Amino acid sequence: MMALLEVNNLKMYYSVRRGDVKAVDGVSFEIEKGESMGLAGESGCGKSSMATTLLRLLPNNGRIVDGSIKFNGQEILTMPEEQFRKEYRWQKMSIIFQGAMNALNPVLRIGDQIAEAIITHENASKAEAKKRAGDLLEMVGINSARYRNYPHEFSGGMKQRAVIAMALACNPDLIIADEPTTALDVMVQAQVLEAIQDLRKKMGLSMMLISHDLSVIAQTCDKVAIMYAGRIVEYGPAKMVYNAPMHPYAYGLLSSFPDIKAPKSPVQSIPGSPPNLLEPPSGCRFSPRCPLADAKCRTVEPELEHLGGNGHLVACHKAGQLGKVGERA
Amino acid sequence: MNFSSYILRRVVYALIVLVVIVTINFFIFRVMPGDPVRMIIDPKWTPEMKAALYEQYGLTKPLHEQFFIYLKSLLTLDLGLSFTSSRPVMDELLERLPNTVLLLGIALFIEILIGISIGIFAASKRGSSIESFVTGAGLFTHAVPTFFLQLVLLLIFGFVIPIFPIRGTMAAPPPVGGWAQFLDRVHHLILPVFSLVVINFGSWALYTRNAMVEALGQDYIITARAKGLTKKRVLRHHAFRSILPPIVTLIFLSLPSIISGAVVTETIFSWYGVGRYLLDATMKQDYPAAQGAFYFIALATIICNFVADIVYGLVDPRIRVGGGEGK
Repeated sequence: MMALLEVNNLKMYYSVRRGDVKAVDGVSFEIEKGESMGLAGESGCGKSSMATTLLRLLPNNGRIVDGSIKFNGQEILTMPEEQFRKEYRWQKMSIIFQGAMNALNPVLRIGDQIAEAIITHENASKAEAKKRAGDLLEMVGINSARYRNYPHEFSGGMKQRAVIAMALACNPDLIIADEPTTALDVMVQAQVLEAIQDLRKKMGLSMMLISHDLSVIAQTCDKVAIMYAGRIVEYGPAKMVYNAPMHPYAYGLLSSFPDIKAPKSPVQSIPGSPPNLLEPPSGCRFSPRCPLADAKCRTVEPELEHLGGNGHLVACHKAGQLGKVGERA
Repeated sequence: MNFSSYILRRVVYALIVLVVIVTINFFIFRVMPGDPVRMIIDPKWTPEMKAALYEQYGLTKPLHEQFFIYLKSLLTLDLGLSFTSSRPVMDELLERLPNTVLLLGIALFIEILIGISIGIFAASKRGSSIESFVTGAGLFTHAVPTFFLQLVLLLIFGFVIPIFPIRGTMAAPPPVGGWAQFLDRVHHLILPVFSLVVINFGSWALYTRNAMVEALGQDYIITARAKGLTKKRVLRHHAFRSILPPIVTLIFLSLPSIISGAVVTETIFSWYGVGRYLLDATMKQDYPAAQGAFYFIALATIICNFVADIVYGLVDPRIRVGGGEGK
């Protein structure tokens, strides 16, 4: 069966005065129908650029250099803008931004912002769209009487739920959630995640969840891709990646989160800082920070390879030797 | 805070400003050097005649008494008699007001329309050469001194190629017939309106462009685009709508200029309006006339600011107070 979303060797660069920032540099992954994938990594590793690339919403200095994105087998990168706007944006793929911040227009009514998406994509009358927007609000637990409220009249969690309702407005096949819970406090975060999960299961939606918070991904995703400096370094079923990370970076990332059940121990951090994406290091991009790196790592770029079985892929020359990292720590 | 107490606070605030302005307006002419009756007396007059004139205009009374008389007459909208023409200042102002409102109202309307459209257009073409041209042109025309541009226009289109009248509000004597009179007014309006639009459209265009560029960089614009809205709708419904509150405020704040007139423009085009009246009155130390004109302008400014405050509240839901809806 064909995957819902197939991304192949995607490269997206931002041109700046000093050259190209290689924000997404040869990324491939697939999302099946109904599946949820987490995209994790540090700030600035290219996660959010991935989201804007999928919806073709690049800023003026961003351009797609190579690769393909297929949605239901249909190439969407080369499609005429007007067709993509009308048939794909929101209709097939919608996005949940950090709504607690500024994803909603402060001077327009919340309900109208939802209804607007319906009117744009479907032959719905205004009254019909309004009614459906009200139903969507109810679905995420907001009284439809608050249709006429403005964003500043909502709490952070309510705004985020309104943004989720908006994302569901046109019954999309795929939802891209870009740090959907980052600005929320932990209690609200849990409620919002639960709401997303419920609706997703009910409607059979696929999701790509972008987050720097691995616990959020662990809670919600079937599959996880760990991104480092514009590339995916480890990719596979969430359970396998979490229980047995094979890439030193993934290992470092996972051990930088405290485990509340384990005995108290200092939180691990990864020494050094992410590379400059204008001139990424040669060879493996993680090599300057990697405790296992040797001459080969610094010259030959590792490919994503099947190493763990069951779709567990990793891009590391030292993938088998991870035990040593643990010993050092 | 509910809406009526909000309005009440604005009213009190406006009244305080009014009292301060009126007070300054009174004393500023008293401390100015010069003698107000100098302009109307003949050097041959005897000191007794001069004293009588002072007496007649109330200038011999103590200052505080003059002040209270002044306050009392302001309340009844009695602006007194002009020293130079001996006619009621109110009549003189009302006579000139339509001319000024016509000239500056039309100019302001066109400036705003052109300026805002150009600003939105420039913002939508961010980074292109069209945008640089528009910003450059706006800055340049805004920097040109008003009198210089107007004199050049007069020289070219009034003198070298005499297709427009060089002075006045209408032909003297006015042509016969409504239609002919209308055309005559338009004919006299073209040059001054054109020059004002050229000078002023830039600030509207630049302001709109900057506000739009900022708005277009907001997260909710990405959301709007992600929703698959057309470019036009994102630009007008989302970006422009969000900068509307400050723009509307600016429009209201610029309305008083319609009444106060453009002193330079009216002087250069010999326009029979409030601006030139103010200038003449000040030059001739015609206290009642100048004070009256200033009072008039201050009143208009305060009223427009007050309205701007209210309208801002209506167009920006974030400061809309007690609208009846909500939690």
